[in-house]
Amino acid sequence: MSRGHVGSSPVRNEDRRLLTGNALFVDDVHLDGMLHVAFVRSDHAHALILGVDTAAALARPGVAAVITAEMLGDYWQPGPLLVPPPPVEGLVFNQASQVPLARDRVRHVGEAIAMVIAESRYLAEDAAADVMVEYEPLDPVVDLEAALAPDAPVIHPQLGTNLAAHVAQRHGDYEEAKKGAELVINRRFHYDRGAAAAMENRAVVARWDARAEELTVWDTTQAPIPIRNGLARMLGLLESQVRVVAPYVGGGFGPKIMMFYPEEVLVPWAAMRLGRPVKWAEDRQENFFATTQERSQIHDAEIALSRDGKILGVRDFFFHDTGAYDPYGLTVPINSQCTLLGPYDVPAYHSEFRAVFTNTVTVTPVRGAGRQHGVFVMERLLDIAARELGLTPHEIRRRNYLREDVFPHTFQILFQDFAPLYYDSGNYAPALEAALDIVGRDEFRREQARLREEGRFIGMGIVSYVEGTGIGPYEGARVTVEPSGRVRVATGLGTQGQGHYTAFAQIVAEVLDVDVSDVHVVTGDTREFGWGTGTFASRGAVVAGSACHEAALSVRGKVLGVGARVLGVEPHEVELERGTVRVIADPSRSITFGQLAGHANPLRGAVVPGTEPGLEATAYFGPDHGSTASGVHAMVVEVDPDTGMVRIDRYVVVHDCGKLINPVIVAGQVQGGVAHGIGNAFYEKLVYDEGGQLMNASFADYLLPTALDVPRVEMAHRETAAPLNPLGLKGVGEAGCIPTGAVFAQAVEDALPHLALEIREIPLSPNRLWELLREARPVPLKSDEALAAD
Amino acid sequence: MIVDGEHTFPGPRQTVWDLLQDPEVLAKAMPGARKLHLTGDGVYEGVIRIGVGPVTAAEWTLKVTLADRVPPASYVMHVEGKGALGFTRGQATVKLDEVEGGTKMSYRADLAVGGKVAGVGQRLLDQVARMVTRQGLDALNKELEARLAARVDAAP
Repeated sequence: MSRGHVGSSPVRNEDRRLLTGNALFVDDVHLDGMLHVAFVRSDHAHALILGVDTAAALARPGVAAVITAEMLGDYWQPGPLLVPPPPVEGLVFNQASQVPLARDRVRHVGEAIAMVIAESRYLAEDAAADVMVEYEPLDPVVDLEAALAPDAPVIHPQLGTNLAAHVAQRHGDYEEAKKGAELVINRRFHYDRGAAAAMENRAVVARWDARAEELTVWDTTQAPIPIRNGLARMLGLLESQVRVVAPYVGGGFGPKIMMFYPEEVLVPWAAMRLGRPVKWAEDRQENFFATTQERSQIHDAEIALSRDGKILGVRDFFFHDTGAYDPYGLTVPINSQCTLLGPYDVPAYHSEFRAVFTNTVTVTPVRGAGRQHGVFVMERLLDIAARELGLTPHEIRRRNYLREDVFPHTFQILFQDFAPLYYDSGNYAPALEAALDIVGRDEFRREQARLREEGRFIGMGIVSYVEGTGIGPYEGARVTVEPSGRVRVATGLGTQGQGHYTAFAQIVAEVLDVDVSDVHVVTGDTREFGWGTGTFASRGAVVAGSACHEAALSVRGKVLGVGARVLGVEPHEVELERGTVRVIADPSRSITFGQLAGHANPLRGAVVPGTEPGLEATAYFGPDHGSTASGVHAMVVEVDPDTGMVRIDRYVVVHDCGKLINPVIVAGQVQGGVAHGIGNAFYEKLVYDEGGQLMNASFADYLLPTALDVPRVEMAHRETAAPLNPLGLKGVGEAGCIPTGAVFAQAVEDALPHLALEIREIPLSPNRLWELLREARPVPLKSDEALAAD
Repeated sequence: MIVDGEHTFPGPRQTVWDLLQDPEVLAKAMPGARKLHLTGDGVYEGVIRIGVGPVTAAEWTLKVTLADRVPPASYVMHVEGKGALGFTRGQATVKLDEVEGGTKMSYRADLAVGGKVAGVGQRLLDQVARMVTRQGLDALNKELEARLAARVDAAP
């Protein structure tokens, strides 16, 4: 019978270890004879390397080696293309992936040029400072549009262009749709993103055991299995000779799914070469240069509508900054392209983007992974249209939502999983009404009017979004009932704080009717489970969770089968009851899982023909499509027009990630995502100067929102079960941060209705908002009643 | 980074010009200068030690090449500095005009700054540049006054 483990929020299995300091992080790995690494990194954004003088560094006592590109020989190879471009007709994609150490030119500030290995990190840092690199500076490429000018310096000479990709996708016929339009709105939008700023930076430790002929690598990666496979290939080892452990990881947020960072390739190589364990732990400043980021897109977007606010079509041309290299393919701009459509019925869509190389840190997905760019454009277009048409922001959305009965719904454009953009399920309008109720819209309007009398300006925003989550290809899990009666679950994912040790345990506990605390989950160790891809795209719970479910069902069958045999009845005559199998008709006849594990692994006699020993099963799950999560965010802000400061008073999220496994974990994901989104909207910005120098590479200058800037999210969950997996799950890892910029912009405008303020860029800052307020011209106030009926 | 400004020296233009070409004077006037040598016609090379805010003081090698010299009226300095914490490159134009009571120097430097010092010290770069400039000009002023005084003393 169901104990309701799925859908409850038990104490998390991992919390005791985390809270008592007994969780292993990579930097906690200390090994005998371990050497330490510091990197020599480029000061220039774009330059030829004329020479690298390592003599002084090598002369320093305690330095074991100083490695340059030349010394790597055949091991020096550009990284793999992680995600090939989708098969879109006419697509252009120019590949240039990162290299382990820059050889003859550097393409962004912070690119690694030499690796210094010494007895301590202190010595390594000092020796790194001794390495003199001679550069011939080249003109840097930073501006997206200037990068494509015919006379622009070319970052990858072999390509002959700074164009990384050109992709055009169409659904319906926009030009035809536009002919029937009664309102056409055309704007340019800028959307910039920042660093992932995980609490734990990246780190790699490697040990080569010459006797066992085995390489062990501890890595903060989100993808331990692909790292193992790649390292085995590069180092000429069997996959089984390489063990990659991604232990507890202090936040991933995307950049740790990026693969074959130079440090990941070099540290294991060095450990094998030197015959000693080697450690590198990124410091916070390095993180701004050595870990991938997300950045700018510029959209020229147009929406065509009927007089009553129905969307007839959308056209969007945009530029996407891919940074110095493009190893992650087109995932980020494809996400922007596809997520722009949102929960709306858009009959015609023409979207075209150019991805552009620049002399800045490489861009790969960061939580949201380009989705917020698309959502911002669409939500802003709707806001501007609503204003033109005299509709409230929620009314124009209401009029355009896909109806509940259209699912599954397909747009004829390809998503990041290479399949046509597919919405498996959804129910959008009720989420909007729920959010309006929570905000208390009428009361808010009265309060807004009252405060305006006092010279205070509060505003409210409300926006919608969808999020493609839980994509394939697959994940797996192995479930084992141990002789202790406790259950062990192994899966190949890495874990970075998502609560996998609990959520997966809940799924298995539900199927096997055991306590959640009796289910021991192991993740992120290739020795434990060797098949899978990784933790990304809000897919862990959906894909690995479904695999855990399948494996647990198989084990349940075995438990019931062995139990019935031992109890001398037929399988249909027994049931599970809190870690035992008992006879339904006579519950006093029962046997514990632990005893059954012994029976399933006999030491004498024989295993029953046609069965396997043990109460164990492995299962894999690969969904046909991702499942589409959705939600509505609302925000109440107070704006100080004299200073440009904005205080967020309330933040409301009505979210639908299908069936909830653990409501507290979901709430934590949403709250954390919102904090990320607020940072993106008003605090965080990576500022590059025209020379490609990052000007705010520290937390003194790159501002993260603090606890004072992020209100406690008022949350409501809706559960529209996904039809594509057995538990009805959808992902939630990125939801909190996707629409935040859009809702922030709308709320700030709403606070200042006496100004024709139109926000077309994110991130804002108090300074930038102050400038926009100075430029905005006053308009006569229109009361809410003057707006068309809600 | 643009560093520009004006400064009036209380002395004749030729004396100021000579002062500004003298490596020994410049070594004394430049805050943090460890050494500075004339290594070619109008080429000065040296080592300075300087820190910017959270970027600890470190040694930078500096090469300054003077060009387009129109004595005693104007010249251009090409500046190249590098060290473990970054680099700076750019040029500065210096103009000397005779004004009442002395010589007015107008300067404008356009410098690119890169590396750690740009990433971490950005917020303080302008202030540090202004501070270094002011200290340098004060030191040059003193040197000029000393020279003028010596000349008066030596006068028959």
